[in-house]
Amino acid sequence: MNWISRYTVRIFSAVAAAAVLLAVSVLPARSAAALSFVLGGQTVAFTHVSNSGGVTAVGVEDPSLKKLLGATGAVMTWKRGERYVLITTSEPRVISFSVGDRAYEVGPLSAQASVAPYLVGDEVYLPLDELLHALSYALRSDGSQMVMQPQLSTLDVRAAGGGTTIVARAGAPLRPRLVEDNAQKVAYEFDGVGTTLAPQRAVNAGGVSSILVSQSGPARSPKTLVTVLLTPGAQHGPPRNDNDRDFAVSFSGAAPAVGSAPTPPPPPPQMITPAPAATAAGSATVTGVDAQQSQDGLAVTIHVTGDAAFQWHRLRDPDNRFWVDIQNAHLATPEQDGTLADPGVSLRVKQIDGQTVRVAITLAGPKQLSVNPATTGLVVSVGTDEDLDAARAGQGTIGSVVATTDAVAPVTPAPADTAGGALGNPDELAPSSYVPTNPKLIVIDPGHGGSDTGASHGGLNEANLTLDMAGRLRAILQARGWQVRMTRTTDVDVYAPNDSAHDELQARVNVGNSAGARMFVSIHVNSFINSGPSGTTTYYSKAGDVPLARFIQAALAASLGTKDDGIVKSHLYVTLHSYMPAVLVETAFLSNPDDFALLDSPSWRQKVAQAIADGIDRYAQQYPVSGSAPQ
Amino acid sequence: MSTIRRSRPKPAPSSTSGPRVFALLVLLAVVAGGTWYVLSRRPAPAQYLSVYYTKQSDGTSLAAWRVSTRPAQAGETDAEHLHNTVLYAAVQAVAGPPSDVAAVRFPPGTHVQAVSVTGSTATVDLSKDVAQQVAGTFGENGEFKSLVYTVTGVPGINAVQVTVNGATLETLPGGHIELDQPLHRSDF
Repeated sequence: MNWISRYTVRIFSAVAAAAVLLAVSVLPARSAAALSFVLGGQTVAFTHVSNSGGVTAVGVEDPSLKKLLGATGAVMTWKRGERYVLITTSEPRVISFSVGDRAYEVGPLSAQASVAPYLVGDEVYLPLDELLHALSYALRSDGSQMVMQPQLSTLDVRAAGGGTTIVARAGAPLRPRLVEDNAQKVAYEFDGVGTTLAPQRAVNAGGVSSILVSQSGPARSPKTLVTVLLTPGAQHGPPRNDNDRDFAVSFSGAAPAVGSAPTPPPPPPQMITPAPAATAAGSATVTGVDAQQSQDGLAVTIHVTGDAAFQWHRLRDPDNRFWVDIQNAHLATPEQDGTLADPGVSLRVKQIDGQTVRVAITLAGPKQLSVNPATTGLVVSVGTDEDLDAARAGQGTIGSVVATTDAVAPVTPAPADTAGGALGNPDELAPSSYVPTNPKLIVIDPGHGGSDTGASHGGLNEANLTLDMAGRLRAILQARGWQVRMTRTTDVDVYAPNDSAHDELQARVNVGNSAGARMFVSIHVNSFINSGPSGTTTYYSKAGDVPLARFIQAALAASLGTKDDGIVKSHLYVTLHSYMPAVLVETAFLSNPDDFALLDSPSWRQKVAQAIADGIDRYAQQYPVSGSAPQ
Repeated sequence: MSTIRRSRPKPAPSSTSGPRVFALLVLLAVVAGGTWYVLSRRPAPAQYLSVYYTKQSDGTSLAAWRVSTRPAQAGETDAEHLHNTVLYAAVQAVAGPPSDVAAVRFPPGTHVQAVSVTGSTATVDLSKDVAQQVAGTFGENGEFKSLVYTVTGVPGINAVQVTVNGATLETLPGGHIELDQPLHRSDF
C-alpha cells in the first residue's frame, strides 16, 4: 500500500506542477484588463488583451478587433493552428504578421514590431500599436475614455508634367469639405479623422509651395485640416473621391522660384519603423546634411553628434527612393527639401517623430549605393553605375561604437517587373486531329439565355444580343451552303431554367459533340466592372482551336472598328469540352460606351456575323476536313 | 608541481593514443557542430515571389510586382512553410496591386479563406464574393490567370484548385471558366 501512496503523491505533484505551469503561461496573459474604447460612437472593448514586457497585444479572435476590421473594410485570413495572420485592407494592402517573427509587412514596406506576435492558447496575439498603425488607426484619450480614431495617414505628393497631385488616404472614408479656395490657398477639412502627419511640408513644385496639416476638435470627433499653399497663378482641378478612402486633387502652375528642378521628392512611405530593441544608448543630434558631387557620383554626409542607431531602406527600380532613419535623434537644423545633382534627384531631411530623423534621397535610377557609418555621422555614397541587385535594407550604429551596415532581411519588394510579353500563349498552329462525322455542320452557340441574361447594361442584355448575332450568322452560313445548328433559337436555357452552369454548358457542348459537327462557335458579349476595357477577343482552349480562332479574330479585327485584343487562351468550359475546333467570341464590351454604341447598332451586329462567317470560310479552305496541313 | 607530475606512472605509448584520438574526435565534433550551428543560424537568403496581375488594357497580358516571402522560422516544418508561403501568395494575388493600377480585379470583398497543399497542387478557397462576376469572360480569365500564375510561382506548386466557400464548382454561376479541376499556367 505504501508504494501506491508514494505514486499517488508523485502523480499528484506532477499534475499540480503542470497546473502551475499552465497557470503561469496563460493567466498573466489573460489577466490584462479589457481595453475599452469608443468606435464609431459605440463603446466596445478588446477583451482578448495581453501584456508582454509592457507591450499590449490583442488576440485575432477578439470580437471588437473584428468590428474594427469591418469598419475599415479590411479582411483577415487566419485559421486556428496557423502561424501567419494576413490582413487585406481596402486599399488594397496586405498586412502580414507571423508568430515568433518581429518582422511585419504593410504593403511593400517591412518593419520590426516591438514584440513578435505570440500564441496564447492557440490564438495569435498581435502587437496592438503596430496593428493599429498599419490599419491607419490610433487610440486617443478624450479625457475619460479611449477613442479609436481613424487617421489621415498618407499624403502622397506626385509631380508630373508641371503639375502636382496630392492624394490623401485614411483608415476611414474621407468626407472632404472645401473650406477655403482662393489665389493663395486651398483648404479641405476632413471630418472624423485625426492625423499623425507632420504639420508642415514643403513641396515647391507644380503650383504648390507647401502643405499644412492640423488637427482640431475633441478625440471623439476630430477634424483634420489640410491647407495647400499655392504659388502665384496656380490652378486646381476638382477633387477626385472615387472610392471614399482615396481623395485626390491636382494642381498646376508656374514653377516656383525656389529650386530649379520641378520634380519634388516623392514622400517616403509614411510608415514609422520602430527602433530596434538594442539601440545605442543616449540621444543624438543631426546637425546638418550636405551633398557633394564628384566624378564618382554623389556623397551625402549626415552629420551626427552622439550615439545613434540607424536603419536604411531602398525601393526597387523603377521606384528609386532611398531613406535612412536615424533613431533616438533630433534634428537641430531646419527641415530640408531640395534637389540634388545627378545621380541624385532630390533630398529631404525631416523629423518624422519625436525620436527619428529621416533623410530621404530620390535617385536618378537604380544606382550603386553604400551607407558608411563614421564616428561623426553617416556618409551615403551614390555611384553613377547601376546595380539592379543592390541590397534593399541595412542597419548599423553611429558614434562611439561604429558598426558596419549589415544587410537585414530584404524588406522593400519591388513594384512591378513587367512579365507580360514573355508569358505569351503557346500558339502552335497544329491542326485538329478531330474528324467530323458531319463536315458540313457548324454549331453556333448564342451565349447565355433564358434564366441567365448574361451581362446587361443600359437596357441591352447579352443573351438577346448573342441570339441576334447568331441568327444573322446562321443566315449567312446557310446561304453559303453550310448546315447550321444553334444551341438555342429563342431566349431559353438550353438545359433547363435555373440549371447549374455545368449542366447548361454541357448541354451546349453536347449539341456539337453528338452531331459530329465540324466547328463550334460560341458568341458572347463582354463586360467589366468599369468602363475602361473595350475590344474584341476570340478565346480558345485547345491547340486544335488555334487556327479557327486566328481566322475568325483576323476577320473581326479587319471589319469591326473595335480594339483588336487578339486571341486569348483560357480554360473555358465550352471550348475545352467540344471535341471539334471551338472558339468563344467576345464581340465587344457592353460596359464600354463606344463598344455599347456599336453593340446597339443592327448594322454593326451584321458586320460581326459577316466577319465570323468569313473567318469560318477561310479556315475551312486552309484546313480541309481530313485534318491535314494547309493545302 | 614537478613532483606531482613525476609521481604519476608514465603511461605506455599504446595507452595514450586512445585518449588522444578521443580528444581529437571530440574537437572535430565540436568544430563541426559549431560550424553547423553558425551556418544554420545565418539568416536564410532572401526569397522573392512575383505577384502577377492581369492588365486591364487587354485582359490577358500579365505584369508582376515582387514581394519578399518570410524565411522558415524555428519550429516551422517544410510542409508548414510551403503551406504558409502558398497562403501568402494567394492572399497577395487576390488583393491585387494598389488601387491606382489598372488591373483586372476579383469582385469586391473576395478574399482567401484558406489554402491547403496536396502534392504539387494548392487548393485556394475563396469567399463566395467571387461569384459576383459581371458576366464577362474578360474578368474571370484575368482573375484566375493572375491567381494561378502567382501561386504556381511558389517552388513546388504547379497547379491551383479553386474552391468557393469550401465547395468545388464546375464553373461560377453563369460563368465561363471550368473550375472543377486544378488550373495550370498552360491553361491560360
